[in-house]
Amino acid sequence: MGDIMRRHNPKIILTIFSIIVGIFIANQIKLKLETFTPVTIKSLQATKAEITSVNNEISELNKILKAKEEELALLENIAMGDDNILDILKNDISYNKLYSGQTSLKGPGIVIKMYDNPEERSYGFDLNDDLIHDVDILNILNDLKIAGAEAISVNGERVLSTSEIKCAGPTIRINGRSTATPFVIKAIGDPKLLYASVNAPGTYGDILKIYSIGFETTVEDMLYIPGYKGVFNYRFAKPLGEDD
Amino acid sequence: MIRLFFALIGILIGIIIGFLMPYTYNASYSLYISVAILACLDSVFGGIRSNLEKNFNINIFISGFFGNAALAAFLAYLGDKLGVPLYYAAIFTFGGRLFENFAKIRRIILFRRKETN
Repeated sequence: MGDIMRRHNPKIILTIFSIIVGIFIANQIKLKLETFTPVTIKSLQATKAEITSVNNEISELNKILKAKEEELALLENIAMGDDNILDILKNDISYNKLYSGQTSLKGPGIVIKMYDNPEERSYGFDLNDDLIHDVDILNILNDLKIAGAEAISVNGERVLSTSEIKCAGPTIRINGRSTATPFVIKAIGDPKLLYASVNAPGTYGDILKIYSIGFETTVEDMLYIPGYKGVFNYRFAKPLGEDD
Repeated sequence: MIRLFFALIGILIGIIIGFLMPYTYNASYSLYISVAILACLDSVFGGIRSNLEKNFNINIFISGFFGNAALAAFLAYLGDKLGVPLYYAAIFTFGGRLFENFAKIRRIILFRRKETN
């Protein structure tokens, strides 16, 4: 043992091994590690929970992705099949416009021409009896609706469920536009029924004739009724099931 | 005083060499290496102490240097596999011994100075 100690200077050996330690230390420093924290069971569990939550999120996102991909495939199929979606949407639009009254229509029906008492001699003591009032128009329209009129116009204004008939002095207002006599009411429907609804004895139209108000009804094979030209603007009404 | 600082000088030289070396190892081994460094450092301090006590044995030193480092690294690795931080054992043992050795080195040097004075 003695000669080993003599042959190897301990200082030199220690220096050499210190150099080895230094090399390792330098390498460790070179790695530029983040502050190393020992892995505790708590941190393991926290990381585990984090990973599971992230995995859950990923699977949820994958589900959404799948649903969206299916949607996309459907749309692509529609796009591939000679512009199916366009036709469908166009049909949809024309259907909705037809039933909301924005499409001009044609068909058989009757035309009613109403005007104030044309004779110089007044019918009675009250001048109002010689004039057509908003109520007269309303009653006629109601009779036509009862008889199954599918489309009605008054002086070229389409009558919708929201159309008002308002007395405005010598004129009446419908759809916000004033019109004067003669009032031409067109109605598409079964001509016989429509004719009877305003000409049969005891109907409102028949009574108007007694008051010597002009009331001419003609049956037409082909009528043209214009569509509603206004814009629907609901301020208060909202579709059910959107906000509630 | 030079004879006291040769280990420190060696470590400094080693650090310089290490920085100049182009090689690095995988960062995932850093835990094992750091524990091994602690064990090596302990061995070096033990070597200094035994040198001062005039009973330095190269075989004991080299076997301790590499054996302790390997054991410390292995403990860290095993702890990783078992989920128990076993490298604490290495840190406490070698860390404690490091200070113990340093304390003995201090005493030896201080007492020697007293004697020479």
